[in-house]
Amino acid sequence: MIDNNFNRRDFLKVLGWGGTAVALSACGNTSVEDGRELVTSYSEPADYVIPGIGVYFNSTCAQCDAGCSIMGRVREGRVLKLEGNPDSAINRGKLCGLGQAGVQAHYNPDRLREPLLRTGDQGEAITWDKALELINTKLGGVQGEQIAFLTGGISGHVGVLLKNYLAALGSTNHFAYEAVSPSVVRAANKKAYGVEMPRLRLDKARVIVSFGADFLGAWVSPVHFSQQYAQFRKDSNGGRGVLVQIESKMTLTGANADRWLAIRPGTEGILALGLINALGTAGLKVAADAAAAAKNYTTERVSKDTGISVEQINKLAALLKERTPSLVIAGSAAEGYAHGSHNAAAIALLNQVLGNVGQTVEFPASVPFPQIAPIPGNSYALHALNDDMAQGKVKVLFNFGANPVFTAPASMKLQENLSKVPFKVAFAHYLDETALQADLVLPLDSALEDWATAVPEYMAEGAQLNIQQPLMDKLHPGTRGMGDILLALLKQRRPEEYKGYEDFYAYLRNALVQNKAALGGTGKDDDTFWTETLSNGLVKLSVKLPETQGKLSGKASAAGLILPAPAAENSAYPLHLIPAVSASMRDGRHANQPWLQESPDPLTTIVWDSWVEIHPQTAKKLGITEGDIVEVTSRSGSVKAQAYLFPGIHPDAISIPLGYGHEAMGRYAKDVGVNAFKILDTVLDKETGELAMHETRVKVSKTGQRVIIVKDEGAVGGKQMGKKIAVRVSSDKIDLSGEV
Amino acid sequence: MCRFLRFSIFLVGLLGAVGSYAGNATQPLVTADDLGPHVDQPIDFPHDRHAGDAAKGGMEINCMYCHTYARRSIVAGIPPLQKCIGCHQSIDSVRETPRIKQLFEYWEGSADGKIAARTPVPWKKVHDLPDFVRFSHERHVQRFVFQQDKPAQEVCAYCHGDVKTMTVARRSKSLSMGWCVSCHEKDHLVDASSINTSNGPNDCWQCHK
Ligand code: SF4
Repeated sequence: MIDNNFNRRDFLKVLGWGGTAVALSACGNTSVEDGRELVTSYSEPADYVIPGIGVYFNSTCAQCDAGCSIMGRVREGRVLKLEGNPDSAINRGKLCGLGQAGVQAHYNPDRLREPLLRTGDQGEAITWDKALELINTKLGGVQGEQIAFLTGGISGHVGVLLKNYLAALGSTNHFAYEAVSPSVVRAANKKAYGVEMPRLRLDKARVIVSFGADFLGAWVSPVHFSQQYAQFRKDSNGGRGVLVQIESKMTLTGANADRWLAIRPGTEGILALGLINALGTAGLKVAADAAAAAKNYTTERVSKDTGISVEQINKLAALLKERTPSLVIAGSAAEGYAHGSHNAAAIALLNQVLGNVGQTVEFPASVPFPQIAPIPGNSYALHALNDDMAQGKVKVLFNFGANPVFTAPASMKLQENLSKVPFKVAFAHYLDETALQADLVLPLDSALEDWATAVPEYMAEGAQLNIQQPLMDKLHPGTRGMGDILLALLKQRRPEEYKGYEDFYAYLRNALVQNKAALGGTGKDDDTFWTETLSNGLVKLSVKLPETQGKLSGKASAAGLILPAPAAENSAYPLHLIPAVSASMRDGRHANQPWLQESPDPLTTIVWDSWVEIHPQTAKKLGITEGDIVEVTSRSGSVKAQAYLFPGIHPDAISIPLGYGHEAMGRYAKDVGVNAFKILDTVLDKETGELAMHETRVKVSKTGQRVIIVKDEGAVGGKQMGKKIAVRVSSDKIDLSGEV
Repeated sequence: MCRFLRFSIFLVGLLGAVGSYAGNATQPLVTADDLGPHVDQPIDFPHDRHAGDAAKGGMEINCMYCHTYARRSIVAGIPPLQKCIGCHQSIDSVRETPRIKQLFEYWEGSADGKIAARTPVPWKKVHDLPDFVRFSHERHVQRFVFQQDKPAQEVCAYCHGDVKTMTVARRSKSLSMGWCVSCHEKDHLVDASSINTSNGPNDCWQCHK
């Protein structure tokens, strides 16, 4: 028993002891250790092992859901560095910075090391047997429907066990929650194309118009899109492709665009219809219903609504008409409004009018095993769970891979509702905000120690099944894999069915070997198939699509499309808040990986802190200069952060990056920056019930304090070290007649 | 007195340097206080018995027979336990001596259960460099043993001292940067048959990557 209050700080102290042990055993980074350090040799080394020379093992990146395949360089039993696996069509040997930081999730000194039980306000380390037995006891007398399982997006065999466990408990309450996900776009795609995530062929397009999709940074499958983008930029389709990015806050993709257009927040759909109208006027054949829907969106009106000049709109329409095939993408900036579904639908309609469906918007591949198919998370799930908890319907809550206490807006009152759940179990790597609220915390193996399979939602070419396998022995003996825990829990419920599997590894091997014919292992004996599968780190599935299914046909129609007028002036809260999703921080689940904190934000070059992006004009009006600590207040709360003057943002908007401002999760994440999730208003998309992330209106005021911003450089396109290198030109100053 | 001693050591060193330069020998400078600490090892491994001269009761086993990784990797590597046992399981004459009994405890597990079977012997590090130095055994062994055709016992001794006369190894060179450079500055034959010479690399990044 540890006589500390069960709060974050004391929990960390407990962890600190483990941390010290690690620090001691790893000491001597630069000192000479003659006669003190051990040179442990192997007892019986494998043939291919030579001390000092790395061996690569394949696995799967678990830092985001894109499902890139990785190769881990392992030396003397320690994984040192991750590279991309060239055999995967998704990332073809490349990794993003977030993926690179995966080793820091594994070696993180703040990892949980033993099961922890809350007794009153105290914390106690207990054994696994006791922990699992406790779950069994607590489930007694609880009806199935009172049990809920909260996860992030999930797929593969861990997902199968999870579903089976819920079924064994008689519950159907699986809530897959992702704070940042393209869920509204998924729903709009489903309506327009019949599939949630069509395959986008950036490489085939000759012009891409992206409405705030940061596909080079943080959107869906950024490593894959970056490679397609490189093709798009080459001359392969008769001329270098042209990228036009339309958004209210510049993203990394926006910074790479040929033309970046700042649009009034929320008017993306209006511009899409305006473009349809302009294309019709320019002589493109537009289906009657689309033409009718777009009829009132004259270029002048659209220009007035969106703030984009008539000239730019006409030029854009001309560009789209001239260069086919094109590709129009709806990103998170377009979908983040109460009318987000309609924005996305209007953009899908534009794709169809341009004839891109079936050309650059293709039918996606998928795995032929529905039970392991990905269950993508959305934010509606959390709202549904939150309502259930508020009504006291949830008696036992399991949480794996989600941190809603951090990512839910304060206005949802999630923490309060969580406290109404009598027994909460968190499967966690760190003591994050949600784990701190749990009654029982079960420590997980890191992604580099654990077994799993993963099916990416976005397939690059053919379908593939990714293998995640341990790259080294466990760092901490007290952690367990999620698959193993679920298996142990299932053995409590269905001992007959699962008693044959000693551990999750045995289960996984059996599951794959049994299906080896479908996994390309016909004619191979079990051992060969299994060894090959593990050494490849992925299985490519050759699924023949029926002819009719192989081609997408556009079903988008203008029916039901209602786009509201641009948001009215709001004198109390004059500015739009754009919560920015950066390539490294995403929703903040990896904020405790110091490389991610340390690598400068690509646009502002700021490190280790939050900031508020303000357009220089707006800042001038408010009397704000760079480094002023400003208070950003919405109806739901306020945060204080340093102001950063940034020309890449609409003057009516400000932006704060998400992912910072943890109150727990260890030394590298805690108290770094502020949490912008907290001040979001709970406004939902009317069709899907998703949280409309961009609907929050705020006011900004100076606090009188100032700091020197820790950053590398000046604003994009500004003067650099006083020299005019790569200067920017505002879009209305360009002579468009000379442009592409 | 002390100063006098130091000065004489310096002089000896200087003479040594001149001498070795003249003789094109590859040994870097050594001074008496370069000796490292005595290191207590779990087993007092007799290097002299294994690698020493036959005349002195040694078996003249090539260093690289056990430190087999030296020619292939940046580290020489401690031989795996399996390698020790590989020979010793057929050497009955010493099977019951204390050190060999101890060795087999690591392989078979100890009677009191304190050591599990197949536990690698927890040897202590005798030669270490700071982490910002990248020293490659492979590079040096290839150059001197394979290109210049020198005996391994001699080549290893450039840096590790005369291990073949030691029981438990003890550091006998300073392994400081100046010491490394003192050898890199000398002319070395390019290969055994050549009369051409070259220096060891003197670029910072060769060792500090
Ligand atoms: S895109 Fe996602 S899966 Fe791919 S390397 Fe980056 S973090 Fe990993």
